[in-house]
Amino acid sequence: MKFFRQLFAILRMNLAGLPQQLGSSLTILVGVTSAVGVLVSMLAMGIGAREQQLATVRPDRIILSTTGSRLGQGNVTQDEAGIILGLPGIKKNAKGDPIVTLQSVVPLEGRRHVTNVRIYFPLIGITPNVLELAPEIHLTAGRMFRAGLQELIVSNPCRRQFVGFEMGDKRPLHGTDWTVVGQFDRGASQQCVVYGDVKSLMTLMKRNTYSEVTVLLNSADDFAVLRDAVNANPSLHLQVQHEDEVIEDAFKSLNAVLNFVSLFVGTIMAVGATLGAVNSLYAIVDSRRREMATLRAIGFSGSAVVTSVLIESILLALPGAVLGTLAAWLLFNGLSASPFGFSFQLAVTPPLAVIGVEWALLMGLFGGLLPALRAARMPITTALRAT
Amino acid sequence: MKYLPLIWSGIWRKPGRTILIFLQVSVAFALFGILQGMKTGVEHVVSQTRADLLIVHGSLSQADPLPLGLLKQIEALPGVKIVIPVDIFGGTYQKPSEKVFMVAIRPVDGWLDAFTYKMRPEVSAALRTNRTGALIRKELVDKYGWKVGDRIPLQTGVAQTNGSNVWTFDIVGIYGDDDVGSGGGVILVNYDYYDEARVVSKGTVNHFNVDVSDPRQAVAVADAIDRRFANSSNETKTESLRELAQSQMQSIGDLNFLIRAIVSAVLVALLFAVATMMMQSIRERTSELAVLKTLGFTDRAVFTFILVESTVIFVAAAVFGLLLAWIAFPLAARFVPGLSMPWEVVALGLGLSALVAVISASVPAAQAARLNIVNALASR
Repeated sequence: MKFFRQLFAILRMNLAGLPQQLGSSLTILVGVTSAVGVLVSMLAMGIGAREQQLATVRPDRIILSTTGSRLGQGNVTQDEAGIILGLPGIKKNAKGDPIVTLQSVVPLEGRRHVTNVRIYFPLIGITPNVLELAPEIHLTAGRMFRAGLQELIVSNPCRRQFVGFEMGDKRPLHGTDWTVVGQFDRGASQQCVVYGDVKSLMTLMKRNTYSEVTVLLNSADDFAVLRDAVNANPSLHLQVQHEDEVIEDAFKSLNAVLNFVSLFVGTIMAVGATLGAVNSLYAIVDSRRREMATLRAIGFSGSAVVTSVLIESILLALPGAVLGTLAAWLLFNGLSASPFGFSFQLAVTPPLAVIGVEWALLMGLFGGLLPALRAARMPITTALRAT
Repeated sequence: MKYLPLIWSGIWRKPGRTILIFLQVSVAFALFGILQGMKTGVEHVVSQTRADLLIVHGSLSQADPLPLGLLKQIEALPGVKIVIPVDIFGGTYQKPSEKVFMVAIRPVDGWLDAFTYKMRPEVSAALRTNRTGALIRKELVDKYGWKVGDRIPLQTGVAQTNGSNVWTFDIVGIYGDDDVGSGGGVILVNYDYYDEARVVSKGTVNHFNVDVSDPRQAVAVADAIDRRFANSSNETKTESLRELAQSQMQSIGDLNFLIRAIVSAVLVALLFAVATMMMQSIRERTSELAVLKTLGFTDRAVFTFILVESTVIFVAAAVFGLLLAWIAFPLAARFVPGLSMPWEVVALGLGLSALVAVISASVPAAQAARLNIVNALASR
């Protein structure tokens, strides 16, 4: 009890004296604010990217592609596609046909509005039952493409980001013109995706294998049934994967870059801010040498002094966490980024604010440790004699 | 020069504080070095890539295949020295997570002129004489412990005529590559063997590599190739390796804004921290500075001492920080290709450090210069 009484007494005195140490206090505040601000905005990139990657994932949508192939680069033969139609676990539509879409992916080049920077987007040739597979797709303009024709439907992010995706625009592909007949939104997805009829596209590209086949299951639990059926059939060389597995795989390197950059940069910033806090607190403690020594001389315990400096340091760091998170939110939340051609919006979320506060606590704690010990260890006599 | 000991003793007046400031500035400039090194390093490397090596791919995109038959027609164009067909396919080794990348080429005489690969002539010859041979990049030796003579089975997305998707290659040599755009795990194999053994897309290539006889004519040759196939069913798009690298690097453009934001946040925080520290230091030294002035040092001299003092700490710390960044590059290079620290970054870093030092120290230095001897000594 005595410890706490002493602690509060010192704290009150210290905090009352802070305005005289405005420079040093502000240094801690600014340092922590920028460190937390940078860390939170960097992490917001990773979070935003992840949210975007998983925006359209459903547990009952399964992707089958050639074993060992990467997203969109498989070679599923016509025979294999035929066998897939009869596999168990796949949902049937109203007419009793299995919901299986055959896809052939052609990466195309687009140009950004304004900057004219080149960027790649996938043209996915797909069977016209795509709306049964992905009911989250809804057309905002025009109509669905028709089988056998050279027509495209484009996601609205394409129209917003790149040139040539307005209704009626024509895109030349190997000497034929493909017309945009519809525009659609797909959930919260910000990716530019273009769909066209798979048969027309494969004829044009002289392809005879599909890149991948996506199916809808009766329920997510039927995954094992489907996978076992595929593995049991010797004429199928296919891997059966959930959507999120495929995405995880495809974005592994992007996520690694984002995580590395945010944690690496965040850590360096935090180290810098902690060093600044140590220096400032040393200055603050130094300027109070006489008060501290007086307190110790009249019987205040060393541990109360140590604790009070630590608490003061944390109290100075915490507003930095709030300000830093706020700055990150104001500056970057919702900002669109598309490094490496993958578009997403930065998302400053509550868990990130918590991380920011945690880092600020750590910075305050580590920053206060040495100065606190110094304050408690100072020999009373020399401190009192000091100017 | 004779004032150096004086400045030196000013720097070491409070060693603890100086070391902390030094470390703080070092950390800030290590970060600066890494971020700026990413940006400038990448730009630097782009400008080093070959502008005279042309890549001919389909007009739609880089994944648009072309028939092998175009080879003779491209070869016949004036200014073209050599044309090599290239196809690429991905695979995995043992585990689905261990991805490798195969580049199928035709190792005819002089083929290396149309690539950035580095190898001894006998290595190239070994690939030519071994149909199922493969050359592995140095990095793969360390990664999987492969050596010449090993047979490596690779699970791929490409079916063979024998019904299997597993391709087995014999390692016949090891090569190096100084191109930034290419990843670490590239395996070179024979195009002719690959094309014969695969089931689908026979007789197509992903692109052709073209070396021109006169580097100055590279642009003209590229135009000539595209004109040759314009309005045919196989329109081409020909770009130099440098153009490709440029467009690849443009895609990270959005990161530049972020890098600038971080660097500014770091510098502002630093400016603030150091300015307060210097002010604190001047306050503590009031009487000493007054003594200096009493001895006859002018206001200007005192002002200069303070500025030089902080500049010395800053520039030394910046050098140390940039050194740290340079040491950290191998770590960061695993994630971001082409990291390097050209002298521009070093110069910019040193310039910035001096600038921040002068700005942050100018207020305390002015305070010191304005110091009135009588008052300063009286307050003691």
